[in-house]
Amino acid sequence: MTVQTDHYQIADELIGTDLSMDLAQASLSLARAFHRGATLWVVSPQWEPHAHHVAVEFVHPVIMGKRALPSVALVGADPVAQTRVAVRAGDVVLAVAAADDPATRSLMQRAPAWGVSTIWVGFGQKPPDGAADHVLWVASDDPMVPATGRFVLMYHLLWELTHVCFEHPGLLTVDDEECTDEVCVTCSDEGRLAEVVEAPLELAGPAAVRTATGEEDVDVTLVGEVAPGDLILIHAGLALTKVEPS
Amino acid sequence: MTDDSTGFLYPFIEADEKDPQALLVDLASSARDKATISRDLQRSSLARMEGDIVAAGRAMGERFVAGGRLYTFGNGGSSTDAATLAGLFCNPPAGRPVAAWSLTDDQAVVTALGNDVGFELIFSRQIIAHSTPGDIAIALSTSGNSDDLLRGLGEARKRGLLTIGFAGYDGGQMQASDELDHCFTVDSQSIHRIQESHAMIGHRLWAVAQETMRELRAVRRATPPATQTPTREEVGR
Repeated sequence: MTVQTDHYQIADELIGTDLSMDLAQASLSLARAFHRGATLWVVSPQWEPHAHHVAVEFVHPVIMGKRALPSVALVGADPVAQTRVAVRAGDVVLAVAAADDPATRSLMQRAPAWGVSTIWVGFGQKPPDGAADHVLWVASDDPMVPATGRFVLMYHLLWELTHVCFEHPGLLTVDDEECTDEVCVTCSDEGRLAEVVEAPLELAGPAAVRTATGEEDVDVTLVGEVAPGDLILIHAGLALTKVEPS
Repeated sequence: MTDDSTGFLYPFIEADEKDPQALLVDLASSARDKATISRDLQRSSLARMEGDIVAAGRAMGERFVAGGRLYTFGNGGSSTDAATLAGLFCNPPAGRPVAAWSLTDDQAVVTALGNDVGFELIFSRQIIAHSTPGDIAIALSTSGNSDDLLRGLGEARKRGLLTIGFAGYDGGQMQASDELDHCFTVDSQSIHRIQESHAMIGHRLWAVAQETMRELRAVRRATPPATQTPTREEVGR
């Protein structure tokens, strides 16, 4: 490796214009989710202490009088399994992880089936567009980034801005007609992502699947054998196709 | 949470506000301002502390070469920053890994000590159990006043460890204490901005320690073979 250990430049711009807007939007979304009763779940498979730092920020605010908010670090050996059972629809999952972290990629892919929104903090090569609802990315590929306070600054700001949003109660609720997502889960005709909870109990019987709106039974004859954890697209009670794991 | 349960907290604020655009622009601008404040504080802290950081980093490097271990500790967010710092020393992206761990890593030990002997002793008891005189203790506190950290540093000092404190505000009791070989006090009133500077101070200490270990290896290689212990690479040849 050619990494310099003797000198580290502090960047002129720790938070650029685009990143500042991403942070603003992530903070408003997070404040709205907390307002609806969400819990913030935090994973960092490569840098566990960052997950703990995010959770303690929200649970035990550094500024007296700020609300304690529900946030939990998930640092078990299998972050996907741990998150799957922990989250409820409407919750938020925040990952501090590189773009190629396999557990985080899997979590982000499954999030729509669990009905959770996602925030992805990292550095280096950026995840593809749409990989998470909010991508908060440090514009540097220096491997020292995780140990130089860049992530700490990022989630400190996320916490600070989220609490500013609570001072604007009129903006904490979104009317249904404001739903402007290109493919809205609740009003679109598209197939919905589902995760298999339990395979069919009898031949040609339905599989139990989990979607953003809860658990349901779907006909899986078109997609063949399914196992718990498989991702499928469903429409009108029918499994249309399997989705390859990322 | 409903409007009913939070509304009483903000009776003077416009509850009919519906367009988030103005707020988003304010939030983004505030994020950039805070990042600039953090950057300037990191730069001024490192510049002001450079001499002391080099002295502390060199002492650490010398101890690592002699087989010393590093213990890091803090409370709350600072405990996680202490764990990140220990991770940098024991599993660095470049350079030589050295023995380092965070004294909050084991919740069985922390809760056993907290419950049985008192929270203020959770670190000092571990220092008693683990340390030898060639080791190093780094405590991270934004106030400089945490009793458990001061007790840990006091015990470490008594046992011959190199003692280093990271503090904020006016440095509190850490700055005033004569139990610390080095105290790095970040001159800020914001816990968040202090912690961001602590990360850079830790990184700089690590870099100096790495550089010192490289220099000491060069010195060893220049000494006559009769007194030289072969390195692992040389043995493998």
